[in-house]
Amino acid sequence: MLAVGIVGAGNIAQVHGRCWSRLPVEIRGWFDLAPAAARRSAQRWGGIVHDSLEALIEQCDVIDVCTNVTAHKEPVIAAARQGKAIVCEKPLARTVADCEDMLQVCRAERVPLFVAHVVRFFPQFEAARRAAVEGAVGVPGAMRTVRAFAFPAAPSSPAAQRYADFAQSGGVVMDVAIHDLDFHRWCLGEIDRVFARGLLEAQAPHCDHALISLRFASGAVGHIEASWAHIRGRSRTMLEIAGTAGLIEWDSREPDALELLTDASAELAKPMPLAPPDQPYYKELAHFLHCLERRLPFRVSPRDALMAVKAAQAVLHSIRTGRPVALADFQEPA
Amino acid sequence: MTLRIGMCSHAHGHARAYAACLQRAPDVEAAGVWDDEPDRRDRAAREFGLVPYAALDALLDSGLDGLIVCSANADHRRHVEAAAGRVPYILCEKPIAVTRADAQAMIDVCAAARTRLQIAFPVRFAPAAAETRRLLAQGVLGRVYSAACTNHGTMPGGWFADRAQAGGGAVMDHTVHVIDLLRWFWDTEVTEVYAEIGVGLLHPDLDIDDVGLLSFRLANGAYGTLDTSWSRPPGHRTWGNVTMELVGARGVLTLDAFRQHLTVTNAEAGRTRWQPWGVSPDQGLINDFLDMIRTQRAPSITGRDGLQALQVALAAYESARTGQPVALDQA
Repeated sequence: MLAVGIVGAGNIAQVHGRCWSRLPVEIRGWFDLAPAAARRSAQRWGGIVHDSLEALIEQCDVIDVCTNVTAHKEPVIAAARQGKAIVCEKPLARTVADCEDMLQVCRAERVPLFVAHVVRFFPQFEAARRAAVEGAVGVPGAMRTVRAFAFPAAPSSPAAQRYADFAQSGGVVMDVAIHDLDFHRWCLGEIDRVFARGLLEAQAPHCDHALISLRFASGAVGHIEASWAHIRGRSRTMLEIAGTAGLIEWDSREPDALELLTDASAELAKPMPLAPPDQPYYKELAHFLHCLERRLPFRVSPRDALMAVKAAQAVLHSIRTGRPVALADFQEPA
Repeated sequence: MTLRIGMCSHAHGHARAYAACLQRAPDVEAAGVWDDEPDRRDRAAREFGLVPYAALDALLDSGLDGLIVCSANADHRRHVEAAAGRVPYILCEKPIAVTRADAQAMIDVCAAARTRLQIAFPVRFAPAAAETRRLLAQGVLGRVYSAACTNHGTMPGGWFADRAQAGGGAVMDHTVHVIDLLRWFWDTEVTEVYAEIGVGLLHPDLDIDDVGLLSFRLANGAYGTLDTSWSRPPGHRTWGNVTMELVGARGVLTLDAFRQHLTVTNAEAGRTRWQPWGVSPDQGLINDFLDMIRTQRAPSITGRDGLQALQVALAAYESARTGQPVALDQA
């Protein structure tokens, strides 16, 4: 049985921990700069707490990097140098330069690297892409997605400070739109150019928002709304793919299979019941193990993860400059 | 261990869905198919790679671990009786049979022959239905007052519209799904049924019921209605639905069991349809059947479950005949 070590013990690590605990692997250990968080996670999901990253890596076959995006590079490179298989949360890194450094080491060390772009494993997104690829809409020409939330943490919490610190989080473009940039590219192929407007540098505290226009090499057009400016409890995701012969639609605001309204909540609860094997986070890690054992390519290639970060950086550059940015010519500002 | 599963008839459309589920399940050999219509048998054999059998006896004696019976409703008894004692596990399409006597005979013959009989109620395996049952068990609604239910469908035609083979129209076709869910949610029984039933109201060329509206009471104190009509036209966005609105002292729960879908419009097809992305309830049912065989356990949905649901449909027809509510002695 493969031994998994998890770096970082925050929110997403709890989701991964729960999934690993249901998969045929051993959760062998945890490392976090905050030892208390690592201890709590180990108690919950199994494994022991290591007092250094190196000690954890040495003990494990698979290293799962669940740290903040600015802290992905060090553990990924350290694990690659020890020849370990790697899962890394999305985005791969905060900058294109960091992504390129990480990919270079992984290539040189010939280690498998899977970047957890989980939207590719959400059943409705997966089904929409499959329908489009199978020709349900003819040749796709236009696509739009919305991923709209309230600001992701209570304003006083340390997590909120991290999200609000643009240098650390990259704002809503790096944290949220990165999902859509990757999903659009998965459906429609390479992105030729981007143009975007947003709240970056608008001095709006604990709030961010962007409207992104994409042009694909195929000629198709894409639109993304990514938001941390919506109302708590009323988040929305939607997708639409239009083509020469039809249209695919899905919207979380449509009535769902199950809705519960009680006096206690006074807020509509829409549980999304899925059988455990279809839960996206479980599915992406099961996919990682499946491909690892059979030496198959992952659904998300390291280059896909790099290109998503590159597109996101180009979007940020476009918001700052007010100009369209062609991806082929784009040089990340130092 | 690879399980050998046979299929007795593709008369019911669900047979194709179940055959596809067998293909997707690991370590299963969809072994063979028999059908009283050779063309239908050969089509199924070709499409799903099944060995076609000219005689049901030959299929039953081919060393099967399990048999799926999807013949016309009135033929279930004959086919289950033939298989009992020769195949250890049977999955029988709903409704279990067309009369109470037939259903009881099937239950008895399987019990005597130590063959385990499961009835196909796939909606139990819709994730939203399973989650509803879990939430209700937690008491999220408090005391439940009412259940307004629908099971609409498309007019299936063929033998479904033949009283002798189907035992009835829309009411026979649809009542049992929702009644089974309600019984399963609360471990309760229907105690009284009143029904308005219409013949040829939506399909004037039919001489069988295509509109049914049941009003019922449950032993747990709740009342409810069930609309079972064949009311979805061929161009409709989806085949039909199973929905419930449950009103209780503490809130309202809305279930739309097949709601997880993309909306796909195709210009050439000239229609907009719903394409499910959620878990397939049919796959859940088949996996459960296979698990029963592998672990040699009792069925999760029994012949008695099939009989109890059937009795509600029969009571609805009786109520429509007499114009009065019909009490069910479900002890």
